[in-house]
Amino acid sequence: MAAGPLPLSIGLGIAMLCLSNTITPTHADDATPESLQATYDGEIRPLLKALCFECHGPDKAKADIRFDTLDPDLVHGPDAETWLDTLDQLNAGEMPPSKATQPTSEQRNHLTDWLTASLRTAAETKRFADGRVVTRRLTRYEYANTLRDLLGIELDFARELPPDPASPEGFLNNGNTLEMSGTQVETYLAAARKALAVAIVDPGEAPAIHRYEAAQTNIGKLPRSNAGGAKPVNPEFVLDIDPFPRTGEFLLRIRAGSVIPEGEDFPRMRVSLGNVPGIIHVPRKLVGEVDVIAAADQPATYEFRGRMEDFPQPGDRSFGGNVAFHGMLLMIDFLDADGAELRYADRTYSDPPAKKGNANQNKNAPSKGRPIPESGPRLDIVIDSVTFEAPHLVSWPPPSHTRWLVPTVGGEEKERARQALERFASRAFRRPVNEEEISRYLDLFEAVRKREPHFVAAIRETFAAVLVSPHFLYRVETRTDPVESETVTDHELASRLSYFLWSAPPDGRLTELADRGELLAPEILREEIERMLDDRRTLEFVNRFADQWFDLDALERVAVNPEFYPDFDDSLKEAMREETRGVLREILLGDLSCLELLDTNWTVANRALATHYELADRPRTSAFQRVSLSPEEKRGGVLAHGAFLLAQSDGQMPHPIKRAVWIRDRLLDSPPASPPAEVPELDPENPDLAGLSLKDQLAAHREKESCRDCHLGLDPWGIPLEHFDATGLWGTHSPVRIKTTRKDSPPDAGPPRGPLVDAATVLPDGTEVTGLDSLKDYLLAEQREAFARSLVKRLMGYSLGRSLDFGDREAVEALTADFVENDFRLRHLIVALATSESFRTK
Amino acid sequence: MNKPWHLDRRTLLRGAGVSLALPWLEGMSRGLGAAPASTSAAAGGGGELPRRLCAILFPYGVALPKDDDPAREWGWFPTGEGRDYQLTKVLQPLEGLKDDVTVFGGLSHPRCRSMNGHDTGDTFLTGNNLAPVTYRNTISLDQYAADRLGQATRIPSLTLSTDGGIGPRTRATTLSYTAKGQPIPALSDPKLIFHRLFGQDSSSRSDRAKLENSGSILDLVLDQSKSLQRNLGAADQRKLDEFETSVRDVEQRVERSRAWLSVPLPEVDPGSIALEANPDGPRDYIGAIYDLMFLAYQTDLTRFSTYQVGSYGPTLARTFPGCLGLNPNWHSLAHAAGKKGGPENIGKFDRFLAENLARFLQRLKDTPEGEDGSPMLDRTLVLYGSSNSRTHQNVNYPLLLAGGRGLGLTNHNQYLRFGSDTPMSNLFVSVLQALGTETESFADSTGPLAGV
Repeated sequence: MAAGPLPLSIGLGIAMLCLSNTITPTHADDATPESLQATYDGEIRPLLKALCFECHGPDKAKADIRFDTLDPDLVHGPDAETWLDTLDQLNAGEMPPSKATQPTSEQRNHLTDWLTASLRTAAETKRFADGRVVTRRLTRYEYANTLRDLLGIELDFARELPPDPASPEGFLNNGNTLEMSGTQVETYLAAARKALAVAIVDPGEAPAIHRYEAAQTNIGKLPRSNAGGAKPVNPEFVLDIDPFPRTGEFLLRIRAGSVIPEGEDFPRMRVSLGNVPGIIHVPRKLVGEVDVIAAADQPATYEFRGRMEDFPQPGDRSFGGNVAFHGMLLMIDFLDADGAELRYADRTYSDPPAKKGNANQNKNAPSKGRPIPESGPRLDIVIDSVTFEAPHLVSWPPPSHTRWLVPTVGGEEKERARQALERFASRAFRRPVNEEEISRYLDLFEAVRKREPHFVAAIRETFAAVLVSPHFLYRVETRTDPVESETVTDHELASRLSYFLWSAPPDGRLTELADRGELLAPEILREEIERMLDDRRTLEFVNRFADQWFDLDALERVAVNPEFYPDFDDSLKEAMREETRGVLREILLGDLSCLELLDTNWTVANRALATHYELADRPRTSAFQRVSLSPEEKRGGVLAHGAFLLAQSDGQMPHPIKRAVWIRDRLLDSPPASPPAEVPELDPENPDLAGLSLKDQLAAHREKESCRDCHLGLDPWGIPLEHFDATGLWGTHSPVRIKTTRKDSPPDAGPPRGPLVDAATVLPDGTEVTGLDSLKDYLLAEQREAFARSLVKRLMGYSLGRSLDFGDREAVEALTADFVENDFRLRHLIVALATSESFRTK
Repeated sequence: MNKPWHLDRRTLLRGAGVSLALPWLEGMSRGLGAAPASTSAAAGGGGELPRRLCAILFPYGVALPKDDDPAREWGWFPTGEGRDYQLTKVLQPLEGLKDDVTVFGGLSHPRCRSMNGHDTGDTFLTGNNLAPVTYRNTISLDQYAADRLGQATRIPSLTLSTDGGIGPRTRATTLSYTAKGQPIPALSDPKLIFHRLFGQDSSSRSDRAKLENSGSILDLVLDQSKSLQRNLGAADQRKLDEFETSVRDVEQRVERSRAWLSVPLPEVDPGSIALEANPDGPRDYIGAIYDLMFLAYQTDLTRFSTYQVGSYGPTLARTFPGCLGLNPNWHSLAHAAGKKGGPENIGKFDRFLAENLARFLQRLKDTPEGEDGSPMLDRTLVLYGSSNSRTHQNVNYPLLLAGGRGLGLTNHNQYLRFGSDTPMSNLFVSVLQALGTETESFADSTGPLAGV
């Protein structure tokens, strides 16, 4: 984590609570930089000298802080953050430490008054002097969504763009962190050309449509042995697609039904497509999965769409691989509700080997299939027919073409180009374009036209220029005055709203309101926000915000050690991510309190996740749904979510420090300072610590002088979660390496167990907690406002695409107070934020 | 012109498993005559053979068992010193290449010592402490060289890493930084790297038109950016500056590509490389990356490349040790290096990395170039190492430099130990001088490194 230098913010879980009480001192409004300096020289410095210099001065400089050299000019000096921490520490009563001389209450007030006034003055100055990055480039996913909406085609537009870096707060859309490079610009141009080649078609006949239909699986052409690290595949249904088009949308229709014996749940089809012969056997990409809910005697049609170019294709020439088939393979696997393959021993999955084969060598014959019931039906899927069509065209030219270019007979090319460009550029720039801009594009069009064979090709190149313009790649917010803040324009507001709530450009209605100059009207603005929140595109906000706020991407960076968790299926990671996203979604759509993130009696799960968690209320399908929880299941609230517990572990053991850092950073917005250099991490495999419970291991770690101060404020936040292992399951004992232990222990010793877990601890403010339940109670009772403020700050940072600064403090306080007053409802907060002055000011 | 080392068009280079088209090779045999007139004036042109640099970082450090420890054989550093040294099991794969390798002990970036233990991947090739708050970096060794010498090839430099992109600050997933200290996004997917190298057939007419168009498009974009700048806040203007610089950068690339238009791209058979490899299969993946760097050198598409095997962040490469049946968490493996059995575990993995390096070096050694048919390795410098000794320790980097006998580095087959004040940047100065730049200093260097 790239946390900034916050050396004093140690053990400050509760400090933030106190801030609101002192944020508006009486004299702040009258303060000037000159008067503040005079106060400092005459009164504050002597006080600091008496109270602080002994430890934070020329002799000791504890925590690298020296008040004798700290610059009292908060506007121009480099030490404003340290002064801010000083105020927090004073307010929390943590400094000066209890063993040192304490200030009188008058002295303390004097210090806090000066600090608060200085901070406030600095904030107001700094807010505009330093400038905030408001013109930020689109993130990778915003870019993809923007092209999708603009061109009206589904394609993986951002595939070749490099990933975006995360800001210190964990957000990907921070204008300051989002950078640009030559490679990136080059990739934008290439991606634009590629997308436009799909969207806008050459003149001429429609491409040939390839259509395949089958009722029987085509077996026998699949590789049989392990090669290139890939296992042979045994799909239940194979459709050969040869020849095939390399580009274009495909439409796949599968007519199927299921046979479900008593006590079984809905089986699923997993559909994949692709073929790259000779390199690795039949690499294929998932098209989709579907629960087959229709009965076999009343089959239903299941539809899938995708684009050919997004799936692995064989090259156009053979390079001597060992597979003769050069078409695309469509494969359907059957799974039961829990994801196990429906493979019966009596079924043939491919032809026996042609050469020197005998039955024993057929590696493909499943050695153990699913048991076949002695009587009655078996769980199965029956496929009636499979139809595959590519390219799937609704019209020719496609709508993505006619959206900009009306097929005309004749007409002057330049005039046609003008008409197309005016509409395209204004949609792409998310604002009206002026005549000068258009004429520059027309000049370009004419230059390009000389080199291109026809009108459409030249238009594509001109459109590509629009798509690498800073007006497209950046969310531009212009200024008339470089210093004073201004209200955003209607069009800028439309973009702020749509990228906040949809991660996408403004839709037709927003654009129309902005064109008419009505969006800034409070009534209409509120109405629009409500409309947008009711639109399903808001799910994009839920997913992105959940991912970034809770650091759900961390799931992909943890490898679960199979020696500890032999049964863990990696696909559960995605399910865990969906759970956390789903809970936030329910809270937003159901207009619920965000306190339900801390504790609640329901969650969102699919069958696989509910099975992992051993929930009584288990969904019948792979679809995610709301399920109820009993208190004994210990799953309520985000602190019991697998996504948090696994991502903040090391894949083997629970990791109390990571979890503690996450709670302090993500939930309470009080991240601890980074560990100092050359401090070894807590190592569960250290033999000195072996045999100790984790809590005792941490206690041993804390005995080290240099570690103690930080960890006293940190460890207690993670220890209450010790019952949850790395995969998020609750247990009375610590997890252990199952494989090795099994070997060493007598066969009848039962499952190996680690030491008993002791989750009791004392939080930095002296509160005793005994585990997750009491930690949740504490958070709800004592930290609800800190949590609310934390959420407000994250949401505000995300919505504005920047790190908050001093200048945002008042807005944060006002929004927090309003949020708390309105039952912590997320929907209310979003509306309040999006109608606030901060959101309308640049 | 029919010398034995001349290759026919579409000769299959068995060692490389690649079929190559001739024109560029002809160019190579004449020494860079193939470079278009407009670019051959740059340093390194003018009939001289290429001088190349490859820099490789692996994260988290190595095992450092003491000399009397039975686990010493799994320590990364050799035993002994100077000419009298023995490779341990870890670097054993390089035994046959000892005459082309020097191992260094004691070097590090003194300015980076106060950084957090896992923050120094960012500065491995830059040598400067990251700026506070902004974490702004400075130019990296490869870019310093590419800025001065990279104009002679179609692609000035190639930046690769397992995780791709730039990654978060202090946990970067790229080793390369521009003159302004901006991270250069790394490519990670073998298919995309292959495409970047060999993908365009720029001799065709439509590509020529596209390049001309690109020039016009970028002109327009640059104009837009300039007029937009005037209407922005101060911080936004800095952002737009960044954009403008990037567009200019592409303009230069387009210019260069236009100059290269008349020179056909080498044809390389994609089937010869495991382009489908991905980090789930570390063996194939790392092999494919080295193969691509080798091909880029062999075809003289570029002369400067970096490859970050893994980052210090919890990213994809962290699971790599799993491919040897070890704990699939590189970080934990490194942390356990001081524990019982730890050196062997991480040592086995470090040996695996050394095997891959050795394979790359051996290919460079086995492939002749130039009139005298000297090995490519003689004109290629390969810097390999980590920015931690033991994990979290920003001192005593495990480092080695291979190749370059033809560039004056004839003093190999030694294990040089230095005191902890010797900056690694001194080695950078030696490297840059061997490459032919007139470099006296880099970052905190105090001169070239003695004994190289």
